[in-house]
Amino acid sequence: MLFVILLGSSFLIYNLAAIASDPLEELRVSSDPKVKQQILVLIRDLQLNVPPPLRYFNWLKGVLGGFVGDFNLGLTRSHESVADAIGHAIPISIRLVLGATILAIVLGITVGIVTALRQYSKFDYAMTFLSFLFFSLPIFWVAVLLKEYLAIGFNDFLADPVLSWPWLLGLSVFAGVFWSSVLGGSRSQVFLKFGIAFSANALVLFLLSETHWFAQPALGPLVVFAMSLGVAFVVTHLSVGLSNRKVLYGSLSVSVLGFALYLPVQQLFTKQFSDLTLWGLFAASLLVGITAGYFSTKIDRGAAIRTTSLVALLTFGIIYVDRLMRTWKSYSETDAINYRPVPTVGEANSLLEPGNYWFTTLDSALHLFLPTVALTIISFAGYVRFSRGSLLEVLNQDYIRTARAKGLTERTVIMRHAFRNALIPLTTIIAADFAGVIGGAIITERVFGWVGMGTLFNKAIGGQDLNLLMGVFFVTSSLAVLANLVADLLYSALDPRIRIGK
Amino acid sequence: MKATRIARAIAVAAVGALTVTGVSTLVVNPADAAVRSTVVVVSSNAMTSLNPGTPDTNLTINADIAYVTGMGFNYYNDQRNLVQNKVLGSYKIVKNTASDFRVAYTLNAGKVWSDGTPITGVDLLLSHVLSSGAYSKAAGLGDPSNTEVAPLFNSGGYGGPYDSHVVGLPTLSADKMTVTVRYDAFQPDWQIMGPGVAPVHALELMAAGKKTLQSVSANNTAKAKFLTDFKTKNSASLKKIANIWSNDYNIATISSSTNPLLLVSNGAYIVKSAVSGQSTTLVLNPKYNSGPKTSGLKTIVFKYIDDPTAAAQALKNGEINVFQGQADASSVAQLKAMSGVTVAGGTSACFEHVDLRQGAGPGTSDDYTGPFAASNNATKNAKARALRTAFLLAYPRQEILDKLVKPINSKAVLVNSSFLLPGQTGYNTIVAKSGVSKFTAGTQAARTAAALELVKNYYPSASASNQVVDIDMLWGSRANTRRAAEFELVVAAEAKAGFNVTDTMYGADGWGGELDNNDYDAAFFAWCPTAVSQTGSNANFQSDGSNNHIGFASDSVDNATHTLETKLSDAQITAQYLIVEKKLISDAVTLPIFQHPAVTGYTSALKGVKPAPLSPNLVWNFWQWHF
Amino acid sequence: MAKKKTAPAVAGENAIELQETAGLSQNQIVFRRFLRHRAAMISVIGLLFIVLFVFSAAGLRFGSERNAATTPGWWPYSITDIADMSSENCAEGLVGCPTLDVLPAFIDGTGMGLGKHPFGQDDIGRDYFALVMRGAEQSIQIMLIIGSIGALLGTVIGAISGFFRGWIDAVLMRLTDFIITVPTLIIGAVIGHRVGNLGVTLLGVFLGLFAWTGLSRLVRGEFLSLREREFVDAARVAGASNRRIIFKHILPNAVGVIIVSVTLLMSGAILLETGLSYLGFGVVSPDVSLGSLISQYQTSFSVRPWLFWWPGFLIVAIALCINFIGDGLRDAFDPRQKRRITKRDLVKADKASKDA
Repeated sequence: MLFVILLGSSFLIYNLAAIASDPLEELRVSSDPKVKQQILVLIRDLQLNVPPPLRYFNWLKGVLGGFVGDFNLGLTRSHESVADAIGHAIPISIRLVLGATILAIVLGITVGIVTALRQYSKFDYAMTFLSFLFFSLPIFWVAVLLKEYLAIGFNDFLADPVLSWPWLLGLSVFAGVFWSSVLGGSRSQVFLKFGIAFSANALVLFLLSETHWFAQPALGPLVVFAMSLGVAFVVTHLSVGLSNRKVLYGSLSVSVLGFALYLPVQQLFTKQFSDLTLWGLFAASLLVGITAGYFSTKIDRGAAIRTTSLVALLTFGIIYVDRLMRTWKSYSETDAINYRPVPTVGEANSLLEPGNYWFTTLDSALHLFLPTVALTIISFAGYVRFSRGSLLEVLNQDYIRTARAKGLTERTVIMRHAFRNALIPLTTIIAADFAGVIGGAIITERVFGWVGMGTLFNKAIGGQDLNLLMGVFFVTSSLAVLANLVADLLYSALDPRIRIGK
Repeated sequence: MKATRIARAIAVAAVGALTVTGVSTLVVNPADAAVRSTVVVVSSNAMTSLNPGTPDTNLTINADIAYVTGMGFNYYNDQRNLVQNKVLGSYKIVKNTASDFRVAYTLNAGKVWSDGTPITGVDLLLSHVLSSGAYSKAAGLGDPSNTEVAPLFNSGGYGGPYDSHVVGLPTLSADKMTVTVRYDAFQPDWQIMGPGVAPVHALELMAAGKKTLQSVSANNTAKAKFLTDFKTKNSASLKKIANIWSNDYNIATISSSTNPLLLVSNGAYIVKSAVSGQSTTLVLNPKYNSGPKTSGLKTIVFKYIDDPTAAAQALKNGEINVFQGQADASSVAQLKAMSGVTVAGGTSACFEHVDLRQGAGPGTSDDYTGPFAASNNATKNAKARALRTAFLLAYPRQEILDKLVKPINSKAVLVNSSFLLPGQTGYNTIVAKSGVSKFTAGTQAARTAAALELVKNYYPSASASNQVVDIDMLWGSRANTRRAAEFELVVAAEAKAGFNVTDTMYGADGWGGELDNNDYDAAFFAWCPTAVSQTGSNANFQSDGSNNHIGFASDSVDNATHTLETKLSDAQITAQYLIVEKKLISDAVTLPIFQHPAVTGYTSALKGVKPAPLSPNLVWNFWQWHF
Repeated sequence: MAKKKTAPAVAGENAIELQETAGLSQNQIVFRRFLRHRAAMISVIGLLFIVLFVFSAAGLRFGSERNAATTPGWWPYSITDIADMSSENCAEGLVGCPTLDVLPAFIDGTGMGLGKHPFGQDDIGRDYFALVMRGAEQSIQIMLIIGSIGALLGTVIGAISGFFRGWIDAVLMRLTDFIITVPTLIIGAVIGHRVGNLGVTLLGVFLGLFAWTGLSRLVRGEFLSLREREFVDAARVAGASNRRIIFKHILPNAVGVIIVSVTLLMSGAILLETGLSYLGFGVVSPDVSLGSLISQYQTSFSVRPWLFWWPGFLIVAIALCINFIGDGLRDAFDPRQKRRITKRDLVKADKASKDA
């Protein structure tokens, strides 16, 4: 069935695109003495004298060749293999959108939940306004602004990394407003919280700025430990509640272990560090987490293990990020970077000598930074709105009332009963979004100079390159169809009430 | 609850404060960029091949990289002059009779490829294989004019004047350093038709399956083998070489595992690495001695950025050093406002012009019967000519220049000759004598009034508010904002002279596909000559010229253009141009408008960047670049 | 973390809720709730203002730029009037600057006023206010067309396939898949190429025909889930027809999701058109849209910001209004949605019950 759909739409697209393009256009106004030969060559190479509906079958033959091990998407107009070009582009596209999509989902759902719980609060209005505002911004505009301030401005700032007073106060006021509105409460409480958040931020920023921290960022063992403890508290609070002392102690012991292992682990972080080691270390932390969870309690071990594992993974994540941050200074000092570490275009600095894991990792992370922010900002709104709406809907269901009536804590009601059910309708959107975004980040890729599927697509249309266009189309449409299939299956798996067949 | 929350807020603050403890005080001194030796150049495409010689790979970026990695006998400078590269060798006419025209190309001794192999005349012979259809057929390498199958050497060199006029094989001198090419008649563009050097030994070695650089003696043996293959038209050997030349050079990813034989070149830089779709890195060629000395830049990177705004911001952020692009007024102002960035204005090779249809286009058998149709009937002809003259008189050339071009290139001037561009030898003579002053004298208001009078002679009811002559205009793609703005200006201006200008829908083939049809009365677009040539504009005005889309036919012009194909002095050339230009003006056939502006922005610390209008545009003097 | 409610408070809330809705039809209840949604009401007024302002300034038009039936607007310039570049109000080296002056005389000494070209002039001297107004008109048209076609097709197809399931679902969903696989850009490119200057109406229709897929999948999902609920069984047992079940029972329950999605679709439509214009496939000269203006002048951002900010501001304003209206509608339609009970309401209710 999927096959028939792809067949039909590829036929349609092929012919539409063939109708809409004129590969000879440039040559018609060329004053090159060899123009006649050039036109002959182009007609010959692109088989322009074969009508498009028939030419389609030539293309199809190459695709169907895949069944006998002779898959062939043809050549681009510059005689590259289309399959190769796409092979290069797909990982880049995935890298570009994966982080942003996950970030948008996590942030969007979090904010969606908070706004649903505080419906019609100032925070709700502010977030609604912000998410709609972000949603309404054309991405190339966002890109221009982000580059101007987060990249160029920040790099300029790094030359003398001392925050000016207006900036320091402005950022602190922002932090104060943000935290006080998130935490909410009565008017006097809000003022108090604003005061605390404002002064804490001002103090921290002042110290960071005075110590030139921004030019040589690092966390250090103590901060890593403190953050890990914070993570332990928050995760435990959200999953089983702080009143469950056994799990809390389990999480805290994971943090302590992380602190103890901080220095030994640094020995592994050499230049030759590899992704394989990284995954190994993640696996090891997972193991630590599982063990700690298992032994911390006998009641509801599953939840305990989930909690401690998450704490362990996050703790290791913090240690890893700390190491990356400490690469920042030497990275900035390389010839290739020349003290301007935040880039605006491309996916890697081609001048950077390969061989240093931390340099290359930081380099790709920094190149991902702006596009990720831009994509997240843009797609964040949808998730906020849908998760807010969905949760509001669920919160009004009878089973929530029942759960409350049973005397379950608010945390349990929201995290276990409401939240999970509210996520179900989101699966459809997430699946479709992801597929769409792989083929559809055309403008994002263009403005950030990434050569992924979107760029290929744009090049194919602009350069009237039918084979390339069809190749990109073939991949993206297959993905789209697959994503919808997965969404369907997920949907019925998550919601047992749903039956798709009769 | 309340206490918990406050506690949490304090915790947040505490965590933030603790962040500081891992920090030691240290002041960073940003190094000054004075010692940089790397230039990153933006390209509007990514490299797809090391060989720009096939019809599929003749992209600007491929040609630029080939230019930087390979030196030939000559190049165009920023003044559109062809400069001989005397370091590599020299060329001169050795015989010039009616049916025998010979040019000898002599290489200087001691020039070497990047693998150390001496460059000799044998390296010049491949050009013949790549340009002569007759050789291709004779050697069993396929017929380039076959409409079904591509020749084995899939070269873009076939079908040109070299192909049609070369006689026999080029001959090699006894010392193998001089090659003489013979043509059947004088070739006005002989200087740009000549051969270039190619590392034939590398081709032979790769054909023999070699994957590493070989010793110089092995290379010389391979070179000798090529000479034999060439002379004997050794089909089997040449086929292998053809396959390598046509396909193996088409690589977009280059790394240390790439066959180094593919990278053998004689330019100042050699390709070191390339990331598919993104960038190509070139480094100094230590054995380079085929051209001018470089100023010491160690690395040149071509980085592909499609979006001009993105390129401009990357320039501001110091990620790139040179950016040349299609610019609009705003982006020029934006570049100019950046500190540390220098903006070089200038022109590209293209110039915009407006054409008025005289007769049927070559793509149709119907007669053209529109208001501008030339006719054998004197009255009708006079009316059509008057209308054409009126149309050109009212054409807002100055306004177009002022509003659309000057904001980008403040030094832009109107182009007033269809053959020469401002600044070229003879331009002033032609402008003074061709009669073009008719279209430049006075104010635009006065010219428009004169145009309206001309129209009123035939359509008394015509006025600025009553457009009586319907003109269908063809122009570029609507997505091109400058052209669209240009068209709006034309519509408004021509309306004042009684013309109702519209643009019909272009059909399936795009606007270019409509050029040969009769469906339009007037058109504006650009000619983009790729070389300076005394015959370069012939195809536009000869009655059977391939670029004569407007059905213009004149015996005197045909005579003049044929004369231009012979060897002439500068004065004689100008005289012939004048004949054509006078006819074009008096018959109101066409008017040039402006040269397309080009904008280059570069890091101010980088010196020696002098953008040139003709290919290889920006990189023509890369050896002079330095920090 | 929600407030724990005491029993009397809950009773009070219910009383208020009941009192609110007593004697009103469903539509009236929805309408009342909507009226009370402050952000939505502000947005309705804002959007109405924008629409009236824009359409009256530029005049109504039907058809393409040069072959249109138009009614005159109150703004003296049209987008085909080309004037000389004026350097009024300009900094050194610039021309065509906005003459709008919103600062009264006692601040900058020049007094408030529109001037000749309040939004400035474009590159060739056209009045930018006229261009922006025409652009907004076109963009609103595109948005409405895409929104209504998308909403209609998406809801109907999603509802039918979710409700009937089986082969109907299979066929319709395959149709949806088919449409999903066709990239909007290709449609844009083809239309841009073939019918580029037939005006924005056709562009909107074509894009609308391809924009409903997400919505239809969403609606289908809702229907699949809602049709298994008790109230649907109850309606069926009571003998309600399929049509009645779909429109009277399921649809009102799904309407929240639909409206959120349609409003996102509509504001997305403006952005889609902007994106198409950026890539050169959207509205093309001589027609203008907000998208084509903002993408044409995106480089003006730092040097001639007014060319960029006006259309950008309108895009954001329109999209914001649409989204807030959608938000208000969603809340109003949600049958289980409760009004936020303020303390004052409780006091009032308390007093009322005491009085009674």
